[in-house]
Amino acid sequence: MIQLEDVTRTYGQKVAVDSLNLSIPPGELFAFLGPNGAGKTTTIKMIVGLLRPTRGTVQVCGINIADNVRRVASMLGYVPDEPVPYGKLTGREFLEFVAQMREMTSKAIAAAIERETQNLRLDEFLDALTESYSHGMRQRLCLASALLHNPRVLVVDEPTVGLDPRSVRMVKDLLKERAAAGTTIFMSTHTLPIAEEIADRIGIVDHGRLNFFGTRQEVVHQMQARGLTLERFFLDITEGHGPKVPHIVQNKSHKIENRA
Amino acid sequence: MNGYWIAKRWFDVLSKDIETPTRKASSTARSLNISQRNEAHAFWQMRGRIVRCLIYQSLGQSRFRLVLFAILSGLLWGGMFWLAFDGFHFLRTAITDPVAFGGTVRSLFAVFFVGLLLMLAFSSAVLLHGFLFRAPDLTFLLTAPARIERIFLHKFQEAVFFSSWAFLLLATPMLLAYGIVESAPWYYYAMMPAFLIAFTYIPAGVAAIACLLVAYRLPRGRVLLMVVVGTLVTVVSIWLLFDAFSSTRSDLFTSGWFKDVLLRLRLSNHQLLPSWWLSSGLIESAQGGWNESVLFLSLIISNALLLRQLAVFTAARVYRRAFSELHVRRSTTLAGKTIWFDRLLLKCRPIPARFRVLLLKDFRIFRRDTVQWAQFLVFFMLLVVYFLNIRRFSEGVNHPGWLNMIGLMNVAVVGLIISTLTTRFIFPMVSLEAQRFWIMGLMPLKRKTVPWSIFLFAALGSILPCGILLALSDFMLDVPTVIRGIHQLIGVLLCLGLSGIAVGLGARMPVLTQQSTSRIAAGFGGTLNLVLSAVYIMAMVLLVAVPSHFYHMAHATSLTEVLASHTNVLVWLHFWLIAGSAASIVLAAVATYWPMRIGTQAFEKMEL
Repeated sequence: MIQLEDVTRTYGQKVAVDSLNLSIPPGELFAFLGPNGAGKTTTIKMIVGLLRPTRGTVQVCGINIADNVRRVASMLGYVPDEPVPYGKLTGREFLEFVAQMREMTSKAIAAAIERETQNLRLDEFLDALTESYSHGMRQRLCLASALLHNPRVLVVDEPTVGLDPRSVRMVKDLLKERAAAGTTIFMSTHTLPIAEEIADRIGIVDHGRLNFFGTRQEVVHQMQARGLTLERFFLDITEGHGPKVPHIVQNKSHKIENRA
Repeated sequence: MNGYWIAKRWFDVLSKDIETPTRKASSTARSLNISQRNEAHAFWQMRGRIVRCLIYQSLGQSRFRLVLFAILSGLLWGGMFWLAFDGFHFLRTAITDPVAFGGTVRSLFAVFFVGLLLMLAFSSAVLLHGFLFRAPDLTFLLTAPARIERIFLHKFQEAVFFSSWAFLLLATPMLLAYGIVESAPWYYYAMMPAFLIAFTYIPAGVAAIACLLVAYRLPRGRVLLMVVVGTLVTVVSIWLLFDAFSSTRSDLFTSGWFKDVLLRLRLSNHQLLPSWWLSSGLIESAQGGWNESVLFLSLIISNALLLRQLAVFTAARVYRRAFSELHVRRSTTLAGKTIWFDRLLLKCRPIPARFRVLLLKDFRIFRRDTVQWAQFLVFFMLLVVYFLNIRRFSEGVNHPGWLNMIGLMNVAVVGLIISTLTTRFIFPMVSLEAQRFWIMGLMPLKRKTVPWSIFLFAALGSILPCGILLALSDFMLDVPTVIRGIHQLIGVLLCLGLSGIAVGLGARMPVLTQQSTSRIAAGFGGTLNLVLSAVYIMAMVLLVAVPSHFYHMAHATSLTEVLASHTNVLVWLHFWLIAGSAASIVLAAVATYWPMRIGTQAFEKMEL
């Protein structure tokens, strides 16, 4: 569903993403981990078409995004790490705007807004101007906007930052439900327990290179084998002491056998 | 990064200061032990570092912009000086009696400075509101161990600086020109900066007190209140000004007219007004009365200091509470508030569906942004007042050629006003949209739809008010129907071209690091947009104004008979008129399409 082949992105002399290969099958919830400045957001922006790779190709739903961004956009939902909606629109107006731009019918818009309002508990503040929202409210509103059209692929950058525990639970459940219903989810996060809890597969990136790529079970197996906590495992990998596993990365046809 | 470092360094300075022998446990108590001198030093040190960083940054990254900005400012200053020098020289030669000359200059200064007094008060209030309640560094400052008075003063000084630079840019060329014409002594020039700086503190002090009290007592609707008061004051002032200078007689610039004007200006010459102290002090100084001048300077400085102290006193009592009140106010709820205009817009079938949705979004944002529509309203009302009074100036002018010329000058004025609005609001729209590119960039639509929809919004939003203003101007001038048609056509072409330039440049030169529309507009791209817009307006008006003026002059009753024997001249004038009109249409098409093409191409390649 999401396929990155030898993707490299540079900013001047700096290599933000270095020869990245990834393959995420349909219905998988993939967690992308890495320290600050590792290249997570750059990778995400290339997947959603906001950035072009310097080298390599990005395919979403079998379509090369460089060739047809609009078609990919119709099948994709995206929530950035710091989502800022239009401050002078209410939450409802913002959702209506997004749905109308996606040419949904009035009936479908009403139903979708009702559904996401219920799922993400937006009703308390939906008719207030979004400039008055807290970070968590904005995050939930933008997640709702990304889900209105039932995308086949959902890309979320740090979805739980700034959320209270109840909202974190809500978002985690929602992502799991969506994945179970067949949506492919690409999620970047700093929160290791969330990745451990809900992800089918985990990738750890550092300095633009993918240092680990495996299923949750593989992570647990490696941690147990080396007697490490998840945090120590992550630190080892991002400090360069961990098991570099290019064979797993290159094995693009690798499928998950034990889905949660 | 720089900001963080500076803030940290500043905090270190404060922390060092509180690590004195009288250190106490609680931070509140500790904050009381910071000496005022060290606190002030820390704030000034922080400001110095920020300014130095900004200068290095500008010199390193945008030297060209800086040079262009300096050249444009220099040109503006030079133009103002030339205009003022010529004006004073004319008055000097026209009014031979020194007492009458002094009185006329005093009245001119009084009107000029009373106008600036009002504008300074209004702009200081608006700026202070942003600096005191919305600035991003406030969370840090208000939790730092610093006195609230110092924080207020820090912001107050910033507001004085930002609101007064335009005042200094306008006032200094005029005062220098006056000094040269009057052969003023050296101390006139030496005292001038002190006069001007002290004067700016007076309206700023009043504005600061009003701003704090309004925010404290009326946390909701404060912006609306400021806008309404500002609009009323501006419109009434302009009305009074027109009333003072206008004359129903045809004896313009005669001694009778001057006396009449001076009589009507007596309100601005009231001796309790700081503007009167300023103009009197400067005139006394220029005429060699240094002791009188020092008296007026002392009066202004003492009032400025008193108002500053009163503002600090008020801030110490209400600033924190006002800040708290503002940030805990209930958010605006707009459940089910879809107005008729929104429904109508969504039903406008000739406009493609996605454009309609984008337009609806932009119109909603516009009408909920008080600053945007208020500024629009102020300019609109000023022009309405001007056009309603235009006949008083041109009572004896009835020739179609001259009426057409005045009408075309009004077209240029309307165009210039629209260009300031497109620079202030339309140019930054693309940058703001680019900052939210995660929304539009992920929509299944062509990217160029976004700048084109902003263009449509700008053009649709400006054509109607522009048309109304030009219709009013032509109605008051009572020009023939053909001329009305030509003016309306130029108005439409101006709106299209100005929208195209603003959107195209906005997309080509987006500012992705600023949220404030005023700061985006004040940058290099905004300045360039304003300059190009002015050039476009001049070119458009000249292309039509010059041939149509000669054409109408040639068709005057007396001239037609003379020119009847010179058929070639009339034919040539006719051709010139048609060619000029055609050229203006071509120019408008180029000015609309070319920047839009460059802008949309840049927008399509944009990476964020």
